[in-house]
Amino acid sequence: MAQQKGKDGGLRGLVIGMIVFVVAVGVLFTVLSSKSNDHAATPSSVVKANGYGIAFNNSGKPQVDIWEDFQCPICQRFESINHAYIESLARGNKVKVVFHPLSFIGAESVLAANAAACAADQGKFLDYHYSLYLNQGTENSGHITNSWLEGLAASVGITSSKFTKCVENGNYAGWVKNIAADGAAKNVNATPTVLVNGKELDRNTQYMDPAAFQAALVAAGA
Amino acid sequence: MKISSGAKDWVTLFARLVLGGVLILAGVLKAKAPYEAAAAVRAYQLLPNSFASILGHSLPWLEIGAGLLLVIGIAVKKTAWFGGALMVLFIAAISQAWARGLSIDCGCFGNGGAVAPGHTKYMQEIIRDIGLTLCALYLIKFPHGKLGLDKKPELDGKEQNNGAAKG
Repeated sequence: MAQQKGKDGGLRGLVIGMIVFVVAVGVLFTVLSSKSNDHAATPSSVVKANGYGIAFNNSGKPQVDIWEDFQCPICQRFESINHAYIESLARGNKVKVVFHPLSFIGAESVLAANAAACAADQGKFLDYHYSLYLNQGTENSGHITNSWLEGLAASVGITSSKFTKCVENGNYAGWVKNIAADGAAKNVNATPTVLVNGKELDRNTQYMDPAAFQAALVAAGA
Repeated sequence: MKISSGAKDWVTLFARLVLGGVLILAGVLKAKAPYEAAAAVRAYQLLPNSFASILGHSLPWLEIGAGLLLVIGIAVKKTAWFGGALMVLFIAAISQAWARGLSIDCGCFGNGGAVAPGHTKYMQEIIRDIGLTLCALYLIKFPHGKLGLDKKPELDGKEQNNGAAKG
């Protein structure tokens, strides 16, 4: 196939070069930014050993890990079915409950996860968590903004200006990436994903049936 | 197949816009949610975890690049080889997921990962990818059509690149 030389050949080369450049930058940026960063700021209740998750009753047993995305409709359904039970475990002192807010669905998930971590610093994670799901909008529709997140916080009694700064500055954006990187390393490929003592519950029978869900946890010692 | 050169040129343009447009759409939707795209690749359970993640992060950008080349009409033959090979890989990956009884969404346009059994759409996904493979094959055979920046070797270079806006 003969290549065209001259003016058009130059344009062709230029366009190819630009596209290759965009692709290379996109790949590099995406791959590099998916790595976890040990120096990222984390909420006070977070330790790396829990996969950076927000933990309740750190020495409790069994361990329940909940991987979720605040924008995910199925997570909302899971939350509406099981939140009272899960909150009672987290507020009790027996069962270790670890929340891992993923950012699968996009940029608005990152904002929500960051704000949830800010709420954790105010001791209001569980209330805020529930409120985020209760007021969930359409995915990536511009529903979640910082001012919306601040309004939601006021509705659960968070008044601290530290929270506002934390949200506005995206203090825990790096931490949100660390959660995502840890989820990738642990092969968490769907939200919600619930593990009890490291073993995944059956998403087809145990997630959305509150009796089956509680029975699975009780069987593990909850 | 006996079709006039003019019709052939239009079919080439059509195939470029379909394959290129789908690649751009798929790439952009996935690039917006990179962790989900990586999870979708891992859910096929074909590759070592970390490699699958890197592929999942990279693939959307490669799709966008290939799609742009096709829509603009540059290096159509080579890009069609790439797009066709990609589709064959997708068909193979989806088929093996189906055969192994995994319950996943292909993640072709974002989303992806586990779905409830009975909610898989393997057949539709494979048929769509076969259609796109046919577009790629046509472009490999007839890479030169309307409104492309690549020139037919025998042409005098009258055609200009104003096909880019059509994607």
